[in-house]
Amino acid sequence: MSDQGIFSYLLITLQPANVISCFVGALLGTLIGVLPGLGPAAAMALVIPLTLQLGPTAGLIMLAGIYYGSMYGGSTTSILVNVPGEPASVVTTLDGYQMARKGRAGAALAVAAIGSFVAGTFSVIALQFFAPLLARVALEFGPAEYFALTVLGVVLLSNLTGKSRVRSLIMMMAGLILSTVGTDPIGGLERFSFGIDTAQGGISFIAITTGIFGIAEVFELMAAREKPVEILPVKFRELYPNRAEMRRSVAPIARGSVLGFLIGLLPGPAATMASFASYGMERSISKHPEEFGNGAIEGVAGPEAANNAASGGAMIPLLSLGLPFTPATAVLLGGMLLHGITPGPFLLRDRPDVFWGVIGSFYLGNAMLLILNLPLVGIFAKLVRVPSRYLMPIILILCTIGTYGDNGALFDVWVMLGAGVIGYVMRKYGYQPAPLVVGLVLGPMMERSFRQTLIISGGRIESLWEPPICMVIWGVALLAILLPMVIPPIKAGMKGRLQNR
Amino acid sequence: MTPRKVITSSLMLILFSVVFLVYTTRYPIDNWESPGPAVFPLLLGAILLIMATSQFVRALWICHEQPRPAGEKVPWVLAIQRFLKNNQGETKVFYLTVILFLYILLMSWIGFFVCTFLLAIVSSRLMEAKGWVRPIVLSLAICLFCFFLFEAWIKLSFPRGFLF
Repeated sequence: MSDQGIFSYLLITLQPANVISCFVGALLGTLIGVLPGLGPAAAMALVIPLTLQLGPTAGLIMLAGIYYGSMYGGSTTSILVNVPGEPASVVTTLDGYQMARKGRAGAALAVAAIGSFVAGTFSVIALQFFAPLLARVALEFGPAEYFALTVLGVVLLSNLTGKSRVRSLIMMMAGLILSTVGTDPIGGLERFSFGIDTAQGGISFIAITTGIFGIAEVFELMAAREKPVEILPVKFRELYPNRAEMRRSVAPIARGSVLGFLIGLLPGPAATMASFASYGMERSISKHPEEFGNGAIEGVAGPEAANNAASGGAMIPLLSLGLPFTPATAVLLGGMLLHGITPGPFLLRDRPDVFWGVIGSFYLGNAMLLILNLPLVGIFAKLVRVPSRYLMPIILILCTIGTYGDNGALFDVWVMLGAGVIGYVMRKYGYQPAPLVVGLVLGPMMERSFRQTLIISGGRIESLWEPPICMVIWGVALLAILLPMVIPPIKAGMKGRLQNR
Repeated sequence: MTPRKVITSSLMLILFSVVFLVYTTRYPIDNWESPGPAVFPLLLGAILLIMATSQFVRALWICHEQPRPAGEKVPWVLAIQRFLKNNQGETKVFYLTVILFLYILLMSWIGFFVCTFLLAIVSSRLMEAKGWVRPIVLSLAICLFCFFLFEAWIKLSFPRGFLF
């Protein structure tokens, strides 16, 4: 740790440019969360080129603001329209919308905002303590350990979308292959660029992400048949929860915060998993389980707290190991790299201003979001009324500007269109785009560490798994592959035995 | 996802990985002491080929085990009509792709802002916006917003054409 101390670094957040970035990011994130169809990963990809003008600290604070702001905003449409703004808010529709139908929309929205604030703040405090600890351990890592870690990342993240593991792995391989385009990281030889100057520096991360998330999303919304949505109005007197509702929400918020944070440390769709796990837990321990699904406040408070805590927890592996465990953190990692910041154990040592500046912005952002979300609920609800025929052209143009603005190259816009078409076809065929982004991000690190390990050891292939830390990481990777194959038959056997008895 | 879709996508992936592997052999492999730039892509291509092949074989096996549905015989004209009716959304996606293709192609000739103005009108009309006034006002607003925010304020320079 530098001689300046953590507190002075945290104060970096309070510099005017950073406060404005935090506010804009949180506001944008909330809007993105409110709008169904456009997720935080796509929104962050769109904004990355803009943040490049702001510098690393302010730029990353804005991106982080979008990330956690979307978790807040996602609950609004779930409660008012029964349409989740993002996957983590799916479970909020179960009781939130029922509460809205009973005239308690405001109370549900307020509890969701308060729960999100408490859980978000809890996860930042935990992040502040755990991330440096993990980063110190990771300082012992050499190329072999990094290679093992990236392999572990690929194995664990193959379940990123919670769907087919093979298809996720295939997409990850496609992402890794795309990452090999451009100059070879060791020898400097040009690969797969076909003589195109812009491709010599590698395929643009922004072009790929805006294409497979943004453009493919527009295509998908266009192909889908729109159904009219009923939007429930929020009356001012319904805006705040009553005493009984608040009392019933306290314990679910506390439980959701802890559970969500722990799930956030694991790879996979953490925020979504956390919200479902919290809902299940609340229902199982509730004295009134019959109320769940009919407007139970615990069904809103717990999951909303859990998904926000999980988004904070997911920042730990990103900041301290450089491993993104969710699609949104994968895009955030891409943004960091474009800003010349390499997340991982050295981030805290080399750029404490950025590290603590981003963490400090979480405190500020959470407070801003609470202030934004409580009084502006009615305005956000109106955004859902914007018809897609006017919204989609705006998204298309923002995608183009974002991609072109990155390098000022028309080639990137062609790549974006290609990625959009391929991304749309991929979705139609059941392939999720998130693992491809993870592959694209992990690829350069994986190749560099693989070849460095072999060069250092004089071509000894055993050096990839011989160091003790590597053995542990490979062991975990092996377990991650074997356990999903072994556990279901054992469970089935035990179930069969119990039934026979 | 239907086995037929899995088979189609697997075949595409197999084709892609084979072409990629063949192309990668143009680069030096060197040796294990100093692995060349082709080693890592070759490994990736091989893994992709293995996974796509295993997915293909598994889908074929499922397809083989499933009984074929007794489909009604439909005249081909009716079949095409049905297909187009069921896939109206896809037709729109196709049109939008063509529009975006032309948009990028004409951008450096006509100019970014004029092209963007036209794109916003055409795409909102394609998305079933009624009348012309609203799409034109929307496009004008987007272009002015983009011009002042990105070009005048952030100083991004966009392609200029013979019009603007």
